[in-house]
Amino acid sequence: MEISFTVNGVLKTVNIEDENTPLLWVIRDMLDLKGTKFGCGKAACGACTLHVDDEAVRSCSYPVKFAAGKKITTIEGLGDRQNPHPVQQAWVEEIVPQCGYCQPGFMMATAALLKKVPKPTDEDIDKNIINVCRCGTYYRMRKAIHKAAEIQAEKDINESNML
Amino acid sequence: MKLKTWFIFLVISIISVLLALANSPKIFEYRLLENQQSEINKSDDAYNKMMDVLTHQRCMNCHPNDNIPKQGNDRHPHYFGMARGKDNTGFQATTCNTCHNSENNKYSGVPGAPHWSLAPASMGWEGLSRDQIAERLLDKSTNGNRSHEELIKHMTEDDLVLWAWQPGVDADGVQRTIPPVSKEDFKKAVENWFANGAAIPTK
Amino acid sequence: MADNKRDSKKVSRRKFLVRGGLGTIGVVAIGTYIFRNSIRREILGTINSLDLPYTDNTDKPMVWFEVTSENTIILYSPKVEMGQGTFTGIAQMAADELSVAMNQIQVVHAASSTGNIDSFATGGSTSISGLWQPLRELAAMLRKMLLKEASRKMNVGIDELTIEDGIVSGNGKTMTYAQAAEGVENWKVPDTPVLKSLKEYKYIGKPIARVDLDAKVFGDPIFGMDAQMPDMLYGAVVRATKIGAKFVSADTSAAEQMPGVVKVIVEEDFVGVVASSMMEADNAKDAINVTWESYEDLNTDTIVKMMTVGNGKSTVIQKHGDVLKEQYGLETLEFRTPIGAHAQIEPNGVVASVEGDSAIIKISTQVIGLTRKEVASRLNLDVEKVNVIPTYLGGGFGRRLHTPHAVQAAVMSKAVGKPVKYFLSRKEEFQHDMFRPPTHHVIKGKLNTEGYLDSLEHEFVSGDVGNNSPLIPDFLPPIIGADIGAIRGGFIQYTGIPNFRSVYWHVDLPFATSWWRSLGLLANTFAMESFIDEMALKANKNAVDFRIAQIGDDGIGVRLKNVISAAAEKSGYSEKITNGRAMGFATSIDAGTPCAQVVEVSILDNEIIVHKVTVSMDPGLAVNPDQIRAQCEGCVIMGISAVLYEQMYVENGELQPTIYGPYKMAVMKNAPKEIDVVLLQGKDTPGAVGEPPLGPIGAAIANAVRRLTGERLTELPLKLSKTI
Repeated sequence: MEISFTVNGVLKTVNIEDENTPLLWVIRDMLDLKGTKFGCGKAACGACTLHVDDEAVRSCSYPVKFAAGKKITTIEGLGDRQNPHPVQQAWVEEIVPQCGYCQPGFMMATAALLKKVPKPTDEDIDKNIINVCRCGTYYRMRKAIHKAAEIQAEKDINESNML
Repeated sequence: MKLKTWFIFLVISIISVLLALANSPKIFEYRLLENQQSEINKSDDAYNKMMDVLTHQRCMNCHPNDNIPKQGNDRHPHYFGMARGKDNTGFQATTCNTCHNSENNKYSGVPGAPHWSLAPASMGWEGLSRDQIAERLLDKSTNGNRSHEELIKHMTEDDLVLWAWQPGVDADGVQRTIPPVSKEDFKKAVENWFANGAAIPTK
Repeated sequence: MADNKRDSKKVSRRKFLVRGGLGTIGVVAIGTYIFRNSIRREILGTINSLDLPYTDNTDKPMVWFEVTSENTIILYSPKVEMGQGTFTGIAQMAADELSVAMNQIQVVHAASSTGNIDSFATGGSTSISGLWQPLRELAAMLRKMLLKEASRKMNVGIDELTIEDGIVSGNGKTMTYAQAAEGVENWKVPDTPVLKSLKEYKYIGKPIARVDLDAKVFGDPIFGMDAQMPDMLYGAVVRATKIGAKFVSADTSAAEQMPGVVKVIVEEDFVGVVASSMMEADNAKDAINVTWESYEDLNTDTIVKMMTVGNGKSTVIQKHGDVLKEQYGLETLEFRTPIGAHAQIEPNGVVASVEGDSAIIKISTQVIGLTRKEVASRLNLDVEKVNVIPTYLGGGFGRRLHTPHAVQAAVMSKAVGKPVKYFLSRKEEFQHDMFRPPTHHVIKGKLNTEGYLDSLEHEFVSGDVGNNSPLIPDFLPPIIGADIGAIRGGFIQYTGIPNFRSVYWHVDLPFATSWWRSLGLLANTFAMESFIDEMALKANKNAVDFRIAQIGDDGIGVRLKNVISAAAEKSGYSEKITNGRAMGFATSIDAGTPCAQVVEVSILDNEIIVHKVTVSMDPGLAVNPDQIRAQCEGCVIMGISAVLYEQMYVENGELQPTIYGPYKMAVMKNAPKEIDVVLLQGKDTPGAVGEPPLGPIGAAIANAVRRLTGERLTELPLKLSKTI
């Protein structure tokens, strides 16, 4: 069957036999966007977190059929080197990644959190950011999340001033 | 003469029957009791069947009393610290829907049904006796302000309630256990129990 | 010990290769180092403290550097990047000796066809320390060669030239390295030049941002799981769930009919399936019905019983004075640690392409050479014809010190005549991990009248770490009598004690155990430093003073004492309980790097909460202090995860659990909100960094809990027995 949705702003149509195929594999193998990671396939580790209509979703547990007509954002579409998302900028400034494999999932979860809670408390972070990182970068991630909130706030002020 | 004799006999008979009836109130009462008991038995049976379902893991895991959803037949707390949050659907950005969808996922083993969420805190049944659960179920202040009709509809038609009989596979690919009463029997039991006044047996 | 030896290391043979290619106009310097033969009887102590030097792979030319037309330098790393920051450290080293800016250095993994792959492994916290001397020498040689060519082309004397950011200037002229290298065919190889002094370095010693930072923040496809090849198919291999189960036969008829299936491959030792997508391969795999044999229904109790001091073979690995003759006044404590999983987030995966007599393998691995040899041997290929191309690793931690799935992928690729990508499911990762072995420790000590230890004995038993690893030659374990991995951290560091002894016992387990970051250090230090703390309490002495008083005055002893003092001072170590928080102290030496930690702990809802950790460490010269801090933070958090939560168990012959969650690990909320790192420099060369900070954390937490609750916890994961 054919399923259409936008990925990072571009309309994509995939032709797929099993409409229950996890969105993760469609994104990675059919659309060749490798930033969204496979870690467990059981919605436990969060490495595959991306956004569906701006909400954090674990794509290994999300059948592609549900994506029809929706807006998907992956780490590649969150921001780029020229225009980093505040979360990515904070991640760079705090030098967060070690092995780096889990990081896209964490950044996507964080970006979703900042949308709902622009200035998250430590408690908000503890409750919402529940992905798994084996290198133990949580300490720097927490700092980066707070910093990302600041960068986002400054950006918002600048943008409203420009208007 | 014959006719007169018959008439007299009939009158005496009627009187004696009436007298007999008047003098044997116990028999009369006994018969009424038997009928009532059968209705009560039927209602008790319905109640028990209903409660066998409501207290089963598939239902109880999402009716916690500590705001923490439970998982599995061992009713362990949901992994990774997921909890009720403000509106029964988890935290601000990491919600039930971050992982759970409107149907079960056979690949991830994550269960799903429409409006997947915890039952409201007022419907926290975990650790309560069957009678206490029934009281909460019937009390409009703890049942989401539902009338009996609304309760019947909710319990026999809601997709999330009926998910208990199509719970899908777990992370290991193993079928989850279902309640000990079939879906049809549960629906009948709910209807019967309410039809018979929704009595709590020990009350 | 390693320091003075390093001075004798010289480039013994050199070859040079000019390499052309798109965008490459330059020169490649080749260097070969010989691994000193250090297998001697006293090897145990040596191995425990030695920074293993860089070891080369072949006598053939090896590409280290390429100069590009954009005037940048590509550095081919023989070590893989798994998060430890090696790429950044070696880029700093190369940039400084080459006199180029950091952004002019691009570090890539050397493939086995490039030559300079590591013949041993990336592991053991040896990458920076091992490459410190050779890499700087090679970079300095390249600088000298480029300078010479520039001098010739510019017609300016070498002495009049200066270099900055890869641009040679002098006498009013400038020339880039790229221009200097252009067109040169016969390079003259200079003797190893004198290296710059530490003061001249612009990057070494500075907290430079990771060179792979952007790639990791913007989602670049750099990992083994991201690798692909044209026309690639997907493979899956059926794995047993029971410990010890051997493959006998398979009914593949159903799988062969499944959608997308290209071929089902039945080999002597495994059955695999190749399909056109990952999901199809996986679905078909589930349809294969396999017969297994020779497994038994083991459980955790059996394993624990096996793993008890007194079972198996013993080796005295350390002995001083007389030990424990008098039983009177002897204190004894026993400790246990569980089976630990690596649980790295990137599953083991590989893409293999076998065509004719050659093979290409793209893989996340810590052992490029071994993987190459295994593939060649299984497919009967010439080793030189197997090109292993390493990718970034989504976590190493020792899990990828054997990557035999490359062999299975190669077999499947050969069978279908196309490249095959294949990776393990998470369940397979958990059940077929090469685990951290469970351990048991019996520690005995006796205090003298002054309240210091008169004698101390540590007996411990462990499963394999280095033994039976394909990395360790079979002849080695019998010679040294002990497992070089299991004994890490098993040496008594309180050499001021008159009598001490350390005894290692080895037991064979029915499942594979192997290298897990820091090896025996985590378990051994947990046991020993818990015991020392208990002795300090018994002697009614401050835990820090008690330790310092019993450490010898040799080089490492002095460094250890400095590290301990610095940790105590920075943390304000106190044995008073304030606001429901207690402090705990512990210290260890690993691979020549001393480390001490102070934790602040409280109990909430019967859970142990770690609020703050102060880490004091002396890794020698800090090439990149920020990445050393990152490794300290990471070790602290991975350590908290291991000592408070993690535990594999055996049930009905299966290793369980098989998924994150049930395999409980630290998440964000469990990480301390404060991690304070103090770095000392007790020697002028770089030492081990990536593992030493995993030593103290377990005992430090247990010691804090002891002071807070009175309960001495002796088993990992730490759990309070009574409700507080």
